[in-house]
Amino acid sequence: MQTPSSSADTDLQADNLRRAAIDKSVKGPVLFLFVNGAFWLMASTILGVLAALKLFAPSFLGDCPVLQYGRLQPTHINALVYGWGVQAGLGVMLWIMARRSGQELKSGKSVLYVAGVFWNIAVTLGLVSILSGGSTSIEWLEMPKWVWPIMLAAFLCFAWPMTTMFARAFRPEGFMVSTWYILGACFWFPWIFVTANVALHCLPGLGALGTGINAWYIHVLILLFFAPVAIGSAYYFIPKITGQPIASMQLAQMGFWALACLGGWSGMQHYMGGPLPGWMSATGSLASVLLLVPVGAVGLNHHLTTLGKHNLVASSPTLRFTFLGAVFYPVSGIILALISTFTTGPTLQFTNAWYGYQIVAVYGFFSMCVFGAIYYIVPRLTGCEWLSVRLIRNHFWFSTYGIATVVITSLVSGIQQGGDLNHPEMWDQDFYQLVMNARPYMVARAFAWALITWSNIWFLVHLLLMVAGLGRRSSAPTLLHHGHEETSLPHGAHA
Amino acid sequence: MSNFRTFILALTASFGLPWLCLIIIPAIKYQALTPVAYDKDADGVDGYYPPAPINRQGQLVYAREGCAQCHTQMIRPTQLALDGWRKGWGQDQEARPATPTRANTLLDYLGEPYAFLGIQRLGPDLTNYGWRAPTRQEMHQMLYAPRQRHEWSNMPAFKNLYTVQLAQGPKSESALKLGKSYAPEAGYEVVPTPEAEALVDYLLSLKKDNPIPGITAAAAAAVKK
Repeated sequence: MQTPSSSADTDLQADNLRRAAIDKSVKGPVLFLFVNGAFWLMASTILGVLAALKLFAPSFLGDCPVLQYGRLQPTHINALVYGWGVQAGLGVMLWIMARRSGQELKSGKSVLYVAGVFWNIAVTLGLVSILSGGSTSIEWLEMPKWVWPIMLAAFLCFAWPMTTMFARAFRPEGFMVSTWYILGACFWFPWIFVTANVALHCLPGLGALGTGINAWYIHVLILLFFAPVAIGSAYYFIPKITGQPIASMQLAQMGFWALACLGGWSGMQHYMGGPLPGWMSATGSLASVLLLVPVGAVGLNHHLTTLGKHNLVASSPTLRFTFLGAVFYPVSGIILALISTFTTGPTLQFTNAWYGYQIVAVYGFFSMCVFGAIYYIVPRLTGCEWLSVRLIRNHFWFSTYGIATVVITSLVSGIQQGGDLNHPEMWDQDFYQLVMNARPYMVARAFAWALITWSNIWFLVHLLLMVAGLGRRSSAPTLLHHGHEETSLPHGAHA
Repeated sequence: MSNFRTFILALTASFGLPWLCLIIIPAIKYQALTPVAYDKDADGVDGYYPPAPINRQGQLVYAREGCAQCHTQMIRPTQLALDGWRKGWGQDQEARPATPTRANTLLDYLGEPYAFLGIQRLGPDLTNYGWRAPTRQEMHQMLYAPRQRHEWSNMPAFKNLYTVQLAQGPKSESALKLGKSYAPEAGYEVVPTPEAEALVDYLLSLKKDNPIPGITAAAAAAVKK
């Protein structure tokens, strides 16, 4: 006769076996995406250092055409967005979707490998083309026009199994907020990507309207791909580590649908006062300010879910990165609103503030959440624990301070630049003062990217050691603080 | 399953609406845009608006080198920014023009496959550069050695658009006149490649403040009154 506790044990064991089977089914593709993503992230930050250096020392490393700012900067951003962002995002999406819907990856693993390889070949060729003089100078789409069909096909290879998992596990009564966001990202990315590429590469030329579509593409890719992946991951890991359910289902639902409805309208305000019809920038500006509502709702929800468990932020690497990422979401929303209104926008238009927004959204918000996810997922896939607390701590603090520096200096320098450009007394002046005023900020930016590069090199090494199976053999996870009873994680956090 | 379908439908509808309104319908409407003829009596000029296309070969070099990272091509209206009042940013090169340079319209960029409105304004705006451009020789000097003109300039030197060749016989007409620290070794000269010439042609073709049929003339008349 079974006692209740032993039946609970059996249940737990069955649960663990099921989880292990799911992890095993997605192990290869997910690790492949993470390792390649981490490599591109490191490459992108090194390019970031060089690009920032070129802004105050244009002849640094000679006048080699490959290393001029006009080619380095797009390569830096494209490596960050497509090499790291989309790739690592896909890894996190695949794992969370499989786990959350309780489905193993049934078949087609080899297709995923091939798709991953092709994605990386496409990114490599695209970036080399930009550096060697094939740039289209269409922001975020600088890679030559034959690259995008390969990337689209590779993305769809990953999106398809995720969609079937979602559909199989869809329960009418259950609202699974993290998988909603992730399915949304699977769904929106191809749509946005095809629209922008067909409009800009295949149609006979849309002039200034094309430039507006380009601005729309960047904003919408951030709001409807990077943001959903990061929010989905935060909604999955914050409750898991803190052991508390998501604070409010209404807030979560409202945050999702408001983002879905408003996100697509944002973007055209980037060229406010430009040749586009006025209503386009007006709606874009309106949507970007209204987005503060879902952004605030999600931020509040994450805050309430973490409430009372802040000690875990100190001890769990996953929660620490995710928490910081979740804080950066409202921050990026506020910066978006600032560059989008017709009061502050014209000052910040065409300045470093735009770069600050891209970095706070793609790095500060999205990447921090993805780092958190990686610190959780990788030990479960490789069967060993992270080697060194010090390396994780290094990664965290160098990234945090580095990103904060890049974003703050970009914003402040943007305000300065915009003020200089719009100052009545500057009407007949050349750009001497502007160049001189921007210089210290660019030095700071180069320094900050160097700090981040340092942290990313160690992140890549740490990740490679884990993938090679050289991690700690232990049943206890690597935590950043030990010895306090209250910091021990709730049981579910180990699952 | 029906709920799954509702979910997908809701996603499609919420994103499809802005997609149709901002991208698809404007893109279809854009295809119907054609140059507008000036009315000789009302506008005082003949021909079509916009009058001439930009130099596409040069624009490709502009794109390739990423010039749009630091140079904009967009004049904002005076209620948003002071672009229109900047000296030399329009056709009027006088110190204090009577009227500001006008803001750009969609038609100004008609015929360009993609308008390089620009990402940042680390260097001067180039919308109407053709009006204030110096001689070709000086433009080549600026592209080859930007710090010869302004020591503080942070513009990259596009040496890859120029060839250093042995000076034989009479000096080439197009050879760059360079200061001591930028000049090649004795007996050599720097000449622009066809790409550099195309880039200069393109920069010279940037004149996007032509009068708008029926509007600019009326505005000018209002100022005169």
